[in-house]
Amino acid sequence: MGDVVIRVVGAGIRFRRNRRGRRSFKDLFAGRNRRSRPNEFWALRGVDVEVRAGEAIGVVGRNGQGKSTLLKLVAGVMLPDEGRVDVLGGVAPLIEITGGFVDDLTVRENVHLTAGLHGMTRAEIDERYDEIIDFAELREAVDTPYKHLSSGQKVRLAFSVISRLEEPILLVDEVLAVGDRAFRDKCYQRIDELLAGGRTLFFVSHNERDLKRFCTRGLYLDKGRLQLDGPIEGVLAAYNSDYGSPS
Amino acid sequence: MPLALSTVTLASPSRPPRSPARVYRQTLWLLTGRDLRVRYSTSFLGYLWSVLDPLVMALIYWFVFTQIVDRSIGEAPYIVFLLAGLLPWTWFNGAIGDSTRAFIKDAKLVRSTRLPRSVWVARIVLSKGVEFVLAIPVVVAFAIVFGAELTWGVLWLPVAIALQATLTLGLGLVIAPLVVFFRDLERAVKLVLRFLFYASPIIYGLSDLPAGLDTWMAFNPLAGIISLYRAAFFPDQVEALPVIIAAVMSLAALGLGILVFRRMVRAVLKEI
Repeated sequence: MGDVVIRVVGAGIRFRRNRRGRRSFKDLFAGRNRRSRPNEFWALRGVDVEVRAGEAIGVVGRNGQGKSTLLKLVAGVMLPDEGRVDVLGGVAPLIEITGGFVDDLTVRENVHLTAGLHGMTRAEIDERYDEIIDFAELREAVDTPYKHLSSGQKVRLAFSVISRLEEPILLVDEVLAVGDRAFRDKCYQRIDELLAGGRTLFFVSHNERDLKRFCTRGLYLDKGRLQLDGPIEGVLAAYNSDYGSPS
Repeated sequence: MPLALSTVTLASPSRPPRSPARVYRQTLWLLTGRDLRVRYSTSFLGYLWSVLDPLVMALIYWFVFTQIVDRSIGEAPYIVFLLAGLLPWTWFNGAIGDSTRAFIKDAKLVRSTRLPRSVWVARIVLSKGVEFVLAIPVVVAFAIVFGAELTWGVLWLPVAIALQATLTLGLGLVIAPLVVFFRDLERAVKLVLRFLFYASPIIYGLSDLPAGLDTWMAFNPLAGIISLYRAAFFPDQVEALPVIIAAVMSLAALGLGILVFRRMVRAVLKEI
């Protein structure tokens, strides 16, 4: 087993229940405090997880039970209201992967922009540029404005860039449901490769087959709490017995 | 189907983590480059647009104050005097106006990348600042044509730019997170900016104000900053008090901005 790369200690985050809830300046500047206010709820609370390098973890749970929120905390795009989330090492987040792309720029410019924003240096981008384009199968379209790509091509390009980030931790949130079958197979293969290369995977999905394919350990989130942390088969079994088997 | 197998690279802890300052710098330049590239690739006139706006304004005021009414404000050549105030104002106005949408415009990126959060404001200040610097040759051209004499006051230029960047960044850091919660602020800011245009010595100089009022005006940090820009051609515009006040207020604005931003960023990330 490798070193601990993700350490979540007593993490909690709360959201407002209704958008129009009264908000005062005092609330906004309250920063982190432990009091729960009446119109707020804890989306996650008291979550403790330790992930070691090379582990492949699947997060299971119904919608709205905090799966994506946990992933976002690990990705560092949200900050916990209590507890801590420490991530040692770079993260390649496959969350809203098409987010960084700009409509009016070409495919080539977008690759440089997005890879750069995710922390690649110029030299690294130049070195991997051909791989990225070939993987996305967009060799003929490098000078096309991004907005003229089909939605499938957009996802292909995005996956290709982010999965090539060479970061030790890979976060995946439901992105594999998109794209045509051939490309999905390619994505799977790419993730397999990354896992074989010793990457740590944090995977959120409703697809039991995908979870079983990639993950060895599962986290079962329900009602904002971490209900179970164990081998993926056991976690899926617990989830299915709580909410009825989908198969 | 044969799949293009790529070279598997091992999880490499070998790459040393880059320093936060370097990440910040790289991100800032990437985003600024993106903004400028989008601007210039989508419009035919490109660069001209960033110059055209202040230029047209300058021509209008020049026409009104020299051709219609007899100018008793500012200094001659009035067009150079105007441009030296209008170009920095365009930077300030554009950056503050855009900072109201700093998070909204890039919401998807904010949600999906772990970047230093203040970069969303800083890149607006920087990209508008770059446009400002690119527009400086226009003033030079007018100065040559109308025979305005360059003085040693031009050495104030970097100070003026630094102060304005500090002030704008500070205010942006206050406004950007607040707008996420109080959408009304977006319109309020526009209104205040319009007021501020006339309440700053842009079409006039500090010395044109009646006694008493100029002391008050000195507490508008833009007064000191604009006088420093004008020093290049009109060194008499510079007075110590407004400049000192501008420097103190700019630093105070940045301090306040950092404080407000730090306290609010957690809530902002949940909201967008």
